[in-house]
Amino acid sequence: MKIYINGTGIAGGFGCGSNVLLNRLHTGVACEPSSQDGYYPAFHADISSLYDFVPKKSLRRIDHFSQLALTGAYLTFNEAGQDSFDKMATGLVLCSGYGSAKTTFSFLDSIIDSGDICASPTLFSNSVHNAAAGHISMMLGIEGPCLTVSQFEISVYSGLLSAIQWLREERVGQVLFGAVDEYFDVLGYCYQRRYGRNSNISMSPLAPGIQSAVPGEGAAFFLLSRDKATNCYGAITSVNTGSVKDFDDILPEESFYILNADGHIESDKNYSKIIPEGSLVSCYTPYYGSIPTGPAFDMAIAALSLREGRIFPVPVNVIRPDNYRIPVQESTLNQGNISCVKAGVKGEFSIITLSHPG
Amino acid sequence: MTINMEELKEIIIKELFLEDITPGDIDDNAPLFGGGLGLDSLDAVELVVIIQKHFNVEIKDMDEGRVAFESIKSLASFIEEHQKS
Amino acid sequence: MNRGAPVAITGTGCLSASGESLMQNMKTVFSGKRAPGKPGAFSSSHPVIYPVFEIKYPIPHINDQHKKYLSRTAQLALAAAAEAIMDAGLDTEAMNGLRVGVCMGTTVGSTMNDEKFYRDFKNRLEPDMSAISRYLNSNPSSVISKEYSLKGPCQTIVNACSSGTDAIGIGASWIRSGICDIVIAGGADELSRISYNGFISLMITDSDPCRPFDKNRKGLNLGEGAGLVVLESEYSLKRRNKRAKAFVIGYGSASDGYHLTAPHPEGRGLKRAIADAFIESGKKASDIGFINAHGTATPENDLAEARVLREIFSGIPFLSTKGYTGHTLGAAGAIEAVYTVASLEAGQIPVSAGFSEIDPYAAISPVTENTGISLKTALSESLAFGGQNAVLILTTEGI
Repeated sequence: MKIYINGTGIAGGFGCGSNVLLNRLHTGVACEPSSQDGYYPAFHADISSLYDFVPKKSLRRIDHFSQLALTGAYLTFNEAGQDSFDKMATGLVLCSGYGSAKTTFSFLDSIIDSGDICASPTLFSNSVHNAAAGHISMMLGIEGPCLTVSQFEISVYSGLLSAIQWLREERVGQVLFGAVDEYFDVLGYCYQRRYGRNSNISMSPLAPGIQSAVPGEGAAFFLLSRDKATNCYGAITSVNTGSVKDFDDILPEESFYILNADGHIESDKNYSKIIPEGSLVSCYTPYYGSIPTGPAFDMAIAALSLREGRIFPVPVNVIRPDNYRIPVQESTLNQGNISCVKAGVKGEFSIITLSHPG
Repeated sequence: MTINMEELKEIIIKELFLEDITPGDIDDNAPLFGGGLGLDSLDAVELVVIIQKHFNVEIKDMDEGRVAFESIKSLASFIEEHQKS
Repeated sequence: MNRGAPVAITGTGCLSASGESLMQNMKTVFSGKRAPGKPGAFSSSHPVIYPVFEIKYPIPHINDQHKKYLSRTAQLALAAAAEAIMDAGLDTEAMNGLRVGVCMGTTVGSTMNDEKFYRDFKNRLEPDMSAISRYLNSNPSSVISKEYSLKGPCQTIVNACSSGTDAIGIGASWIRSGICDIVIAGGADELSRISYNGFISLMITDSDPCRPFDKNRKGLNLGEGAGLVVLESEYSLKRRNKRAKAFVIGYGSASDGYHLTAPHPEGRGLKRAIADAFIESGKKASDIGFINAHGTATPENDLAEARVLREIFSGIPFLSTKGYTGHTLGAAGAIEAVYTVASLEAGQIPVSAGFSEIDPYAAISPVTENTGISLKTALSESLAFGGQNAVLILTTEGI
């Protein structure tokens, strides 16, 4: 069974919305990270579009993580042209590598600064992992099943597996599937502690032996359905996971591979163990950074490639490895499949393949 | 200590992020909950913490809260009565 | 795909303040005993001490490496997994070559909230990365998958208090759709100072032992533990000539879309989750022998739940087992599911601890003594923070 992508909503270091991302993809110019807390540079997401959909007042208690998620959710329904939908037949699957970590630490601040008796219930509520799903469900009126999944770098695969299950078993008519992760100062500290102070770092994924990861944040959302809408991007045809060390060939024939290589030495080296030499390969992480849910951002790019029938050029700072064919110029997409490949730091991988809706 | 009701309003507005509300919009005698401020049960428990943090006055449970939160005026009197000198 | 096809449960495991195995847990609950107490693992500057259901015994099946590198939640998950896998007559070798997935619910287990680390960070003391490494090593699903060298999907569900119920429901769907031969599913959560302070701040914690559905209930007591089931496909059962001990026949999930911390007063989402589980299982209310309710003992949860119990399951016995375990958050739904299976096997349910006086608003009473059950099907329900609701229907029919 094909699962169709009938809408996307995306926000990240490149800006807000799929048109902004598309413009960026045409240029081939990487985004500039910035350091806001002095710990480490990062790609900070633009969520300005959220205020087009909801009054600021209604967001007063909602944290940055949930606002990222809401941005993705509103953009998706807006793009899909669904002003109203069957709220009970719509499910929600959210995935995140780290959840609303910033608010978890803000809650700790309330205890540390003013004592246990001053623990903030609002911060505690927002720090619960499924708060973002709760906010989306309330504000957009989704009353079907809701699921939040946290599986570090395999979160997107894992969440997608359940979203597809729900559609296959006809538990729901459509699923809003979203990936969210946010930057927080403790993450910046962890980067600084491990990789040193790198105020001028720029991401150069796939460069052997060079640690160049820059943390990012954002939201990438998709409206998935068994039914193909007129403005459908493409279809998800397979999702796979496993461990790099016992990888056996499950790759689709004739695919264009988008690697989520994000400048982490330990994981970048694993791509060559999965993707055969001579394959057509690209990598777009310099547009949004290193994010546990990065494969969802690649899915959004793959969806745009399918809709536009184009292969976007690799950003200028991606090293061109000799063992692969790399799209230096924008070109026509001749492949039937696009596979979004993630190799995690712990030796796990996921492959999500999209194809033309047909 | 007498509680300045304008200051109390400022604290509530700031801590509950009531961005588009000014102290002038809050009637001293109007109910804090179920009225025009749009506050709910989660704001009520947050308000308990706010009062603890700013005035070192404990609202032990929502039975006490219901009395204290009847209005700004009743909240000010509650704080005055319970504040340790 | 046959949505309603029964999925075999071949193993169960559980640990909580009521015991270090499912058998011990059932012994405790059928004796009606419970022992909430002052938190021992941490202290709090709160003027009031809120009792908790803390595991005081050493976690079984855990080695020094686990203790050193894994969170307590991950250790609890491993301990319950060891029991469930042994109960199913499986081990690493027997699962080798099969597609074995792991689907676990948690809350604390997926949260980066090491207080010592954060205090040091905040005070610019440049803490080392050991707390972060422990967090990154402790994803409950990955930990179990790695321990048994499994090759199948991993999913850690963070649906707050319904996570354990959702994990079993989703695990069952992996079996039905043929993604997996075996799924290890359930939930685990440790008692944490952070959630202790959080629930107190929400003013839904009782300073006395919790009293689900009672007129004078004041809130929940937190607990800790893990509950796990081994779910197995027919292919795998036949291959090793194994019989099921029970079946998952229905799973339903729905959202209130109402409020972040309060349930819909009429149980809007819960009713639809129940209806969905009925559709999946082909069962109706009169087929249900008992209901293992969520019953946190917070005023609002129990009221909303009582309303739904009255409307849909009038006259059918029900209980809350949180009076024995406390609210174990991400583990709760899974612990309650294994309690449900054990109760179906025993043909009786334990007295609902903490209840003594009927609440005129709830107008319903859980069982006040150990009660024999003649029907072989039961329902376990969870209402979560964020307005999420999940329901499992379990049966021993056809065993």
